[in-house]
Amino acid sequence: MNSTVMKKSLYFFAVPALLFYLLFWIFPILKLFQYSFTDFNGFATQYSYIGFSNYKELFREGTLGESVKNTLIYTFISVVLGNLIALGLALILNLKIRAKGLYRSLAYIPTLFSAIVVGFIWSYVYMPESGLLATLLGKLGIDSGDMNLLGSYSSALYAIIFVEIWKNIGTSTIIFLAGLQTVPNDLIEAGKIDGASAWNLFRHIKVPLLATAITINVTLSLINGLKAFDYPFIMTNGGPGTSTNTLIFSIYKMAFTEQIFGKASALGIISFALIIAITAVVVVRLNKREVSA
Amino acid sequence: MKLAEISRKTLIHLCITVLLVVNLYPLVIAFSSSLRSADNMTNPIVLFNEITLSSYKDAFARMHFPTALLNSAILTGISVIAVVLLAAMAAYPMARLKTGLSKFLYLFFLGGLVVPGQMVLIPIVQMMNSMHIPSTQFTPILLFITCSLPFSTFLYTGFIKSSVPEEVEESAHLDGAGLFRRFWLIVFPLLVPVTVSVVITQGVWIWNDYFFNMIFITKADQSPLPLAMLGFLGDQQNPTQWNVLFAACFLCALPLLVLFAFLQKYFVGGLTVGSVKG
Repeated sequence: MNSTVMKKSLYFFAVPALLFYLLFWIFPILKLFQYSFTDFNGFATQYSYIGFSNYKELFREGTLGESVKNTLIYTFISVVLGNLIALGLALILNLKIRAKGLYRSLAYIPTLFSAIVVGFIWSYVYMPESGLLATLLGKLGIDSGDMNLLGSYSSALYAIIFVEIWKNIGTSTIIFLAGLQTVPNDLIEAGKIDGASAWNLFRHIKVPLLATAITINVTLSLINGLKAFDYPFIMTNGGPGTSTNTLIFSIYKMAFTEQIFGKASALGIISFALIIAITAVVVVRLNKREVSA
Repeated sequence: MKLAEISRKTLIHLCITVLLVVNLYPLVIAFSSSLRSADNMTNPIVLFNEITLSSYKDAFARMHFPTALLNSAILTGISVIAVVLLAAMAAYPMARLKTGLSKFLYLFFLGGLVVPGQMVLIPIVQMMNSMHIPSTQFTPILLFITCSLPFSTFLYTGFIKSSVPEEVEESAHLDGAGLFRRFWLIVFPLLVPVTVSVVITQGVWIWNDYFFNMIFITKADQSPLPLAMLGFLGDQQNPTQWNVLFAACFLCALPLLVLFAFLQKYFVGGLTVGSVKG
């Protein structure tokens, strides 16, 4: 098509969306950068520049290390386990069986619930003594005693990671299923004639052709994990102690409950750099592996 | 042979059923408990041993259900319409022009995915305070739109590239139609499948969001459904109130569950248009 039909003035169509980006993302991030060098508390109109003090304090205190560690564990487990479970479910749902549509719809239902509702329901599941899990274990004759999954240092983080996985499985499964439906049947048949085992068919035909679906699911769950906030906020309030403090939850707590905007901004800048770096590395690696049918 | 096939299928169905039961069990238990009265909360795993709507009555009143529902509908409706218009427009040049700027814009918009909303809120709240802009029930809409743009422009760009050939615009161009008319009269109407996808994927998260609403909305009569749920936060520690809390949970989820029941095909299909196939 000649260039008179597709003119440069087409770019004007992007202006309204760009304005939203500039006003509500670019500008705030620049502001955040500025605040990170101040002792701003969110209210006072006067504040002074204190150099790298906020950053130094963050590195010295341990909040940063703890939050980074929790966020990385949260992300790693939810990406790996969440996608493996979803892929397994998608492979089963892709078999030639009846009522496939019904199963698929049922698997999707948890994704429709608000994080706040999910948080409430799972708080009940984990509640000691009279909660769902404790009652079930009791019925099986197992004394759960003082088991308190959300209330103990060692288990709280894993308990909320499980909720995150549970909430997102429906979405990932649907995306994997759509990917599986793009795998041409004749390719599978050809593989079978060549005597490939079920594992080899999966490893060498399905997985490479699933690459787009894998890229999308891994990228979305990765970003989701790095930005984890909902379940620490609703279910554990970061606790017990700091055991479920994720980066974004720490920023929120510093800014909105402790009112140390300056330090929260510094943590925001560090988190943002970390999220971008990790996402970029993973996305570039995933893209290298993609092939097309 | 035949028998082996039947037993194989049975095994598969059994497998799926077990997986789904485990998956949906917490929701079923919560639903069953929501239909009980407060003095009957001791044995949660006996399903549906009492059916009363008393807890729903309580929850309905406490969360001001009709008002909250209306607020949710207004917030989600305005946001989604704006996202559709802005994202479709922004995607148009990115899909059609093959310059460096176009590629840069595509990555720039997509890059918005990694920005945490909680982080940019600090300066936004501050900016609004210092400019004396009062936060209203409509303020969250601005953030809903911004946060929805990355994924929506991604979907629209992919769809225009793959499914709206440039040739459809040619005759309009020859008839002397300007860019504006070409986009709105010819291209935009062809975007229905991906628009459905954008409405559903973005509509669901906006409908379910409590965070931006919590920051900007302070009046109870302006709260949408998920924000009305926050009022129950303290009840988590008080087991006797769980039936009302569960009833509130299902009232909150009800509108989307009803929509899903009628529009399943679009919900499930909407996730995959443009992202995997496109």
